Amino acid sequence: MLAPALAVVILLFGGGLVLALVQSVGYLPVVGEAGFTLAAYRTIFTDPVFYRSLLLTTWIAFASTALSTVLAVGGALVLRPHFRAKRFFTFLFQLNIPIPHLVGAVGILFLFSQSGFLARLAYLAGFIQTPAQFPALVYDRYALGIILEYVWKSSCFMGIILLANLQSVGDEYENAARTLGANRWQRFRYVTLPFLTPGIVSSSILVFAFTFGAFEVPLLLGQRFPSALPVLAYRLYADVDLQARPEAMALSVIISAVIAGLIFVYMHVTRNLRL
Amino acid sequence: MKKYTLLLFLLLLVGCAGGNAAANHPDSSNEMEDAAAASDAIPTSWDDILAQAKGQEVNFYMWGGSDLINSWVTGYVAEAVKAQYDITLNMIPITDATEYINKVLGEKQAGKDGDGTVDLVWVNGENFRTMRQGDLLYGNWAGDLPNMAYVNAADPSVANDFGFPVDGYESPYGKAQFVMIYDSARIAEPPKTIAALVAWIKANPGLFTYPAPPDFTGSAFVRHVCYEAVGGYDKLLGEFNQAVFEAEIPACWALLNEIEPFLWREGQTYPESHARQQELFANGEVWFDMAYNPAEASSLIANGRYPETTRTFVFDTGTIANTHYVAIPYNSPHKAAAMVVANFLLSPEAQLSKAQPENWGDLPVLDPALLPAEWQAQFAALPRGLATLSTEELAAARLPELQASWLTAIEQGWEGEVLQK
Repeated sequence: MLAPALAVVILLFGGGLVLALVQSVGYLPVVGEAGFTLAAYRTIFTDPVFYRSLLLTTWIAFASTALSTVLAVGGALVLRPHFRAKRFFTFLFQLNIPIPHLVGAVGILFLFSQSGFLARLAYLAGFIQTPAQFPALVYDRYALGIILEYVWKSSCFMGIILLANLQSVGDEYENAARTLGANRWQRFRYVTLPFLTPGIVSSSILVFAFTFGAFEVPLLLGQRFPSALPVLAYRLYADVDLQARPEAMALSVIISAVIAGLIFVYMHVTRNLRL
Repeated sequence: MKKYTLLLFLLLLVGCAGGNAAANHPDSSNEMEDAAAASDAIPTSWDDILAQAKGQEVNFYMWGGSDLINSWVTGYVAEAVKAQYDITLNMIPITDATEYINKVLGEKQAGKDGDGTVDLVWVNGENFRTMRQGDLLYGNWAGDLPNMAYVNAADPSVANDFGFPVDGYESPYGKAQFVMIYDSARIAEPPKTIAALVAWIKANPGLFTYPAPPDFTGSAFVRHVCYEAVGGYDKLLGEFNQAVFEAEIPACWALLNEIEPFLWREGQTYPESHARQQELFANGEVWFDMAYNPAEASSLIANGRYPETTRTFVFDTGTIANTHYVAIPYNSPHKAAAMVVANFLLSPEAQLSKAQPENWGDLPVLDPALLPAEWQAQFAALPRGLATLSTEELAAARLPELQASWLTAIEQGWEGEVLQK
């Protein structure tokens, strides 16, 4: 039953990966290269630009995942008990999931750039006189705009997963703990959190892997240099000089290897955490 | 059941491998033979070309970043070639020429030598050189176009594309000249030399920036600074010379690094593309914009994106001017129709329409001296937009482009010496 879907994945995705691998080790007949060489990898690993991009990409992925996790846990806990407008707020919470990251990035630009909507409100209120006085939230060195966009999308995504986890577990264990004298914090720390942990770990690895390899948000909202690894790979790929192609492919293979490593960790960890 | 799915999977693999093998051996497939035969048989007489072009489709890959240009191509041009020659023109917008270069390259790698998807491309400069280097273009057809009679073939800026000889591999489409854009309500007298601009930037920190190379417009601005810093473009004309590059260009990096702390965001980042720069200017974050199209500011005023007080200027020492072209990939199955479209784009009526500011405002590539009298009068009477400089002013301030290899070296140098420092 799995074979047809697996066939499509192996042929298209695997095929693409194999082509990238082959071109990254120097097989590019159209410019006359047909030998095996690790020169592209050597160039990348000795280039300080690569390490700066790696640092930035790791920072973006880590910060987005950490913040999203905190907000997601909070959101799931708030939305779990029954209250009057629960359905409405749960619906609102899920509303941004079908919105593409590209649209989110443009939205961040409209709202948070120095001449954006919030800046204009601040100008009307008399807080600032020129665009430069508004804090730099996009195209900035700490990638604040990028992290904001990812947190906006990922916290709701993770939140929905955690909410489903919590709702399936039910609240008998916490009630039992309450009757045994546990306070709110103790109930959370010793009862709720362990139930949430598999969901947190699996969804945060997913979010980390996605934000590590995503391209459109850092392209739209990021600084020109250093840029995220996928943006760097794209620039090399789109380079007018075709000799840069093996480097672009090598960078893509490296990014894929990192993400594959993370998926491996995810599988290992969830196996051990199964209830 | 498991056995059958495994068999299906294996068949799928074998089928794909077999298909690849066939593509790599053109003589083993009848379809490839027919396509190859058709593309070889481009007739030599124009009437036969017109006959062959009838009913064909042309996929025109062009930069799609300007709604105005896109509307002119899908409206005026497409309707005219349909009505006059029964050719269906499909405009395919792309962000960067490397997109269609990669497409044709991919098709060449896969062995699709007679049935490519790209029929006509809008190209010049480095991208033309890349395509010639990769043998991706159909050759030597442009000289046979009837409307070439109106083009001054001796003009070096038309016969050479960024210093690389055209040799009939592409047909002229229009001319461009770099202009600086500013808001006359904010700046009464704009700085008309690079030195004056540098002084202005230092006196007004945070209000100037330029798109980061390899963006086309940003790269052009950097070259203007280089012409100034090096002491004249003649040192850089001709083939790329590593020794000259290492001796002269560092003065350019020094000047760009000198103004960097006074730029927008203190030079810690630059707009990724010309589109971002336009947003910054329209929003008032920076007070200067720049463009390769002298009429672009007028068009942007006309559609309400730029304030009415926007004006353009060129430096006293001149600005870079170049020609842009259309070319036909070697594997296009509709070469005849593509040639007919290229000829139409070169016609006086199309060039006149293209030069109207509300259509595009692109400078005509035809030589008025070679045109019949009634066309000469019409070209002379072209309306200028609110912010467009006169033809005389523009013509008096023309600087040549450098060869494409210089451009690549300067763009890479900028990334290493200015952006990353």
